Amino acid sequence: MLSVKNLHASVDGKEILKGLTLEVKPGEVHAIMGPNGSGKSTLAAVLAGNEDFEVTEGSVTFLGKDLLEMNPDERSHAGVFLAFQYPVEIPGVSNINFLKAAINERREAHGQDPISAKEFLQMVKERSKLVELDNKLTGRSVNEGFSGGEKKRNEIFQMAMLEPKLGILDETDSGLDIDALRIVANGVNKLRAADRSFVVVTHYQRLLDYIIPDFVHVLFDGRIVKTGGKELALKLEEQGYDWIKQENVPA
Amino acid sequence: MEILQDTTKLNALTGTLTDGYFAKVPAAFESRRNEAKKALETLEFPTTKQEYWKYTRTGQIANKSWRFADNFDLPELPISIEEITPRMVFVNGVYSEANSEMEDVKGLEISTFAKAKQGYISDLAPYTDYSLSPFLALNAALPQDGYAIRVSKNIALEKPINIINVYTGDTTISQPRSVIYLETGAELKITEFHIHESENPTLSNTALEVQLEANSTLGIDVIQKGNDTSYHMQQLDAVVAGDANFTHNNFTMRGKWTRNNGNVRLKGSNTTANLNGFYIPNGSEHIDNHTIMDHEQPHCDSNELYRGVMLGKSTAVFNGKVYVRPHAQKTNAFQSNGNILVSDDATVNSKPELEIYADDVKCSHGSTTGQIDDEAIYYLRTRGLSATSARKMMVGAFAADVLNTMVNPVWREYIEDVISHELSKA
Repeated sequence: MLSVKNLHASVDGKEILKGLTLEVKPGEVHAIMGPNGSGKSTLAAVLAGNEDFEVTEGSVTFLGKDLLEMNPDERSHAGVFLAFQYPVEIPGVSNINFLKAAINERREAHGQDPISAKEFLQMVKERSKLVELDNKLTGRSVNEGFSGGEKKRNEIFQMAMLEPKLGILDETDSGLDIDALRIVANGVNKLRAADRSFVVVTHYQRLLDYIIPDFVHVLFDGRIVKTGGKELALKLEEQGYDWIKQENVPA
Repeated sequence: MEILQDTTKLNALTGTLTDGYFAKVPAAFESRRNEAKKALETLEFPTTKQEYWKYTRTGQIANKSWRFADNFDLPELPISIEEITPRMVFVNGVYSEANSEMEDVKGLEISTFAKAKQGYISDLAPYTDYSLSPFLALNAALPQDGYAIRVSKNIALEKPINIINVYTGDTTISQPRSVIYLETGAELKITEFHIHESENPTLSNTALEVQLEANSTLGIDVIQKGNDTSYHMQQLDAVVAGDANFTHNNFTMRGKWTRNNGNVRLKGSNTTANLNGFYIPNGSEHIDNHTIMDHEQPHCDSNELYRGVMLGKSTAVFNGKVYVRPHAQKTNAFQSNGNILVSDDATVNSKPELEIYADDVKCSHGSTTGQIDDEAIYYLRTRGLSATSARKMMVGAFAADVLNTMVNPVWREYIEDVISHELSKA
């Protein structure tokens, strides 16, 4: 589904990703862990098409297409979704109206008719339940005045509405209390499917108690330096990242 | 070094205008007309040396030989006016009865300005000094058809009245002059639509005088659809008595040169006055909104919300003056001007002027000018909206706060279409 090969990316001339390779097959959940500054969020941003980052080398193929050639909206239409670490507040733009417009632009890109009002409202009703998002919040301005937990739930609600093939979660767990974390993780779990994959970027192992990954990768200095199963996350939780750093002292 | 502006006397301009048709004004207006003519003998076009005109040059108007139109045919319009009723249609400042559709309503007296019945015309005192806005003197000296409306005591008109002004021709000037008088407890809604339909220069120099008696309610939306050869000078003077409500909204949907003066005198206590505006200039267009809110009495509220979306190399001016007279305790006066610079080449000059002589008042003003939030655009794009759609959505949200104040939302879709069209080009 997603094939990242030797990816190099920089921001403001500083190289952050230094040859990252990652293979994600349909239905798999990959956790990306690593110390601060290792490039986790950069990977998420580059996959979503953030133009602040410049890809200098390597390739990203998504469902057989060159992802790097697409702009952010085309990536969304193709089935990529990024849940933001810091969801943006957009005063005056209603959550519901923008989602409807987004769904219809994707449908148009796929040669489909616009969604009917009835079908859309039914979807909103069902999917907002997945993350226990209050109906009042779905109708408000995007993220405006939402608590931290509400913002993250709104991200997962949007993901549920847009039905991506690849969901990228950028530190969705950061700053959440255990109740909010459980709600968000349950929402993600309900969206797991044989043809839908996830890349879960996280700093803490805690999230992976709820979203059980198929693979855990450790990102260090812009490269994946270790890959294992979910037990690798537990080891990182117990021993920290120092042993990774020592194993990977730059030559 | 500033280039000196042409200071042609306005009188030279009026000399080229014939007043045959326009000699007819209500008898009660005759003395004011003569005063205006006299004032024109010495008045000159304003220059940027005058504070009131600091950012708006009038040279482009002064150096053209304007004349009244000789063709009053209604051109094809981008909107179908047939369904818009009741309506009065004016072409180049002259009433077009054939294209209008009015109905008899109890308590409503409506006619062209020239045919206005005596009585209330003479009651309307001029408020704005001609030296401040010489264009107003020009209008008063040679007024054309506008509307004259009087609503009787405690009559509330439910249907908004539509006033459609169309400007055509080459170097033509039109001078609609209108009055609205609401008796105690009366209610009225008006939409004025001004559209310039010519590839050549057209100048509309409009004046509206409003007098609201106690406890009456008036709402006016003015939609100005200009183009890159249009000049629009608009003057509003309103005198609002106690317990009355007045709302006036300007939607400036382009125009080479637009100047809106809106002056409101809150003459009684417990009145509310709202002046709002939205503008979306493009190219090298210039839009200037000047307001004066004059609080004379206690317990009055005034609100001003002006928002602009700046495209191309356009320039905008907002100047909001608020007077709170010594007697006007418990005044609430709010003012806000926000601008989005879609283009790096656009300029905004925003200036609040508060003169407060009472000590127990709440007055605030805010002015913001910024770019569209790139982060928000990116966020919306990751959800599948194109860059253009995302921009439209952001601007739509920004404009909505002003559009929500419309007194006659029937016209909202038209305004939103123009906004969307302008942003598609940007």
